[in-house]
Amino acid sequence: MATELHVTFRVGTADYAVPAAQVLHLESYDSATPVPGAPSYVAGLVQVRGRLVPVVDLRARFGLAPVPHSIDHRVVVCQVGTRVAGLLVDSARDVIRIEDGAFEKPPDLVEQQAGGFIKGIATVTKKMFLLVDVPRIIGEELSHG
Amino acid sequence: MNERVDLQEFIGGFVVEADELVALATASLVEIETGNATGANRPKAVRELFRALHTIKGLAAMIGVEPIVEISHALETLIRTADKGGGRLRQGAIDVSIQGVRAIGERVRAVAEQRTPAAAPPGLIETIATTDVASDAPSAPPPLAHAWDSRLSLGERQHLYQGLRSGMIAYALTFQPSEDKVAKGITIATVRARLAELGEVVKVAPRTVTHPVRGVVFDVLFIGNAEPAKIAEATTVAVDSLERIALPVGPADTELPIELVEEASAVTPLGRSIVRVELARLDELQEQLSLLIVSRFRLEREIVALAASGVDVRRLREVSDLQTRQLRDLRRAILRARLIRVGEVLEPLTLLVRSLVKPGYKEVRLSLDTRDSELDKAVADRLLPAIVHLVRNAIDHAIEPIDERRSKDKPAVGSLRVTCAETSGNRLELSITDDGRGIDRDAIARRANRQIPDDDALIDVLTTPGFSTRDVATETSGRGLGMDIVRRIIVDQLGGELRVRTELGAGTTFRMLVPVTIAIIDVFSFSCGSQSFVVPVAAVEEIFELAPEQRVSPPSSGGAAGVSLLERRGKAITLVSLGEVLAIDPGTSASKALVVRRNGEPIAFAVDRMLGRQEVVVRPIDDILARAPGIAGATDLGDGRPTLVLDLVELGAKIASRERSA
Repeated sequence: MATELHVTFRVGTADYAVPAAQVLHLESYDSATPVPGAPSYVAGLVQVRGRLVPVVDLRARFGLAPVPHSIDHRVVVCQVGTRVAGLLVDSARDVIRIEDGAFEKPPDLVEQQAGGFIKGIATVTKKMFLLVDVPRIIGEELSHG
Repeated sequence: MNERVDLQEFIGGFVVEADELVALATASLVEIETGNATGANRPKAVRELFRALHTIKGLAAMIGVEPIVEISHALETLIRTADKGGGRLRQGAIDVSIQGVRAIGERVRAVAEQRTPAAAPPGLIETIATTDVASDAPSAPPPLAHAWDSRLSLGERQHLYQGLRSGMIAYALTFQPSEDKVAKGITIATVRARLAELGEVVKVAPRTVTHPVRGVVFDVLFIGNAEPAKIAEATTVAVDSLERIALPVGPADTELPIELVEEASAVTPLGRSIVRVELARLDELQEQLSLLIVSRFRLEREIVALAASGVDVRRLREVSDLQTRQLRDLRRAILRARLIRVGEVLEPLTLLVRSLVKPGYKEVRLSLDTRDSELDKAVADRLLPAIVHLVRNAIDHAIEPIDERRSKDKPAVGSLRVTCAETSGNRLELSITDDGRGIDRDAIARRANRQIPDDDALIDVLTTPGFSTRDVATETSGRGLGMDIVRRIIVDQLGGELRVRTELGAGTTFRMLVPVTIAIIDVFSFSCGSQSFVVPVAAVEEIFELAPEQRVSPPSSGGAAGVSLLERRGKAITLVSLGEVLAIDPGTSASKALVVRRNGEPIAFAVDRMLGRQEVVVRPIDDILARAPGIAGATDLGDGRPTLVLDLVELGAKIASRERSA
């Protein structure tokens, strides 16, 4: 069966996955320049290889309490279409292969509570990975509004 | 960060090149002299002499050695006449030329020894200028049938004669200062300035007189094409006291005019189609343009307001749309005016390469292929240090010495190619390719203790601050910028891309993609809360110290706090706390106020501390996640982090609408 590479990361107590095809690179995180007036889940702007990249704080986006800065923090720089944005995560772990059919639709209640940020759930070697919907997280609705 | 290219880098190359050219010029002169002895013209040697002098002039101009420019220019002019006259150069002209070339040589030595080169020897330029290429002795110009004749230097005489030959008319007049005239602001200085607008002042000479009153008068020799009445008016003398001076008839007169006519027709069109403009003036133009764009936004808002109140704005809208297009065209035209040829920008590289190679040990041929590419001056100034560094590295580390190249079956002379081409999207691609050792990825991976699977990973490692591929830096690459600086310039400052392709043993190519134009603006930087911001200098009307006793808090109808009143020069102006508007730190330590004007009304923004004023590259914030009213873009103040560029006028508008809705 076909497999696809996924970058995995941790936010709070859960492990998440994002298709490696959507990830440009992983960056360490020191701080971002806050942008007054931007949505509250936007940590700010960082400069990655000369490019201005907005960073979405996934803790804020997922409704989790903030934590103090740690050296494990990473920014997963994603590209969706022409947009490039970073996801601030507690730590980024590995790149793993997940079989195409491994992701299942999340249970209704979970899906509702997650506000559509979770597209599927896969279990790999007894560990659960939540597949995030990057376009949704980086505010695709903003571009239509 | 401003990395400027140090001229010192090019001086070594200049000396090598200029020495060779001086030798070439001397050899040509000897050959012409030998030819003369046997009665033969040597047009080829004359042409070579001309080229050598022309190149010396260009090189000296590049590093700013004026005496050499002056001497070589005078010689070049002389030799050009000889070249056009069939390559005849007689003994008198040869003697003068040898003197001139020797003087150039002495000044090249001075540059080599880091002394300041002496000015051109007195009289040399004049002698060269009045030398007749075809006669055997430096010819004295024919005398002038006027009292001025004895008062002119050779140079002034040349100036006068050339003007007359080109069809101008010469007038002698005498300006008599008086208290009356001084009261009206007319002095010899103003007369000079007025004459300079009508033509050329050849000479002004004071003379004491006793009649009608004891005092000083000024004899003025002027050439031009202005009407006598105009000249009389400008100089406050009677028209009939103007003396017209004619060109004397002499032997030198028979050939020279033809040359001058040719010269004029060859030079004038170029002179008319190219104007040198100070960059600051173009910046001013751009600043005015941005103000126009701002006021157009206002107009746009007013149209929207009119439409909302039921007025038919169709015609108004048409005009407004037309204006939008015209503004865009204007902006393009201004940006185009700032572009300079890449070939011109990269010219110093030839000198750099000359100074880095070691003849017999390591030789490099530089080829520049820039076609007709053009680049914004501001980008070019920032880019050059990065290119200089890459070229230096290539010659120093990448290209092998001749022996090593021979043993590898490579051509003895290394090749370094700099090419550039415009790509889509207002970008320019510059490549620097060498045929040297190539970069050993495995060795670098071991050194960096990191895996380097491909060239993209390689460039990351190479440009990591502090990373060097050599334990012992060599003489030339040990100083200056590291590869991390190259990345900072190309990527962080210019928003471009830097890539590398390398093949072990075969060579390396660095590719740089840079924007053709960037928006550079002059900004004030300041802090508010824990954050730094910048604001365009053009938008700020005034900055002043904030004294707490000046502030008055008006009643607040709830919610909208942070607005207070301030007395300034007897008027009340609105003061807002920037910290509160931006909902960051409350900014209790506000000590400075920045005043902007919105719809003619001043608004003062209280900020914590002014940090400075600098020129920055502004990049737009493209992504909707980080777009917010009052945020015009971001810039890098040199710390590698984005600093927000604020649009205080727009922020003022935001507060106003908030107040209305509150």
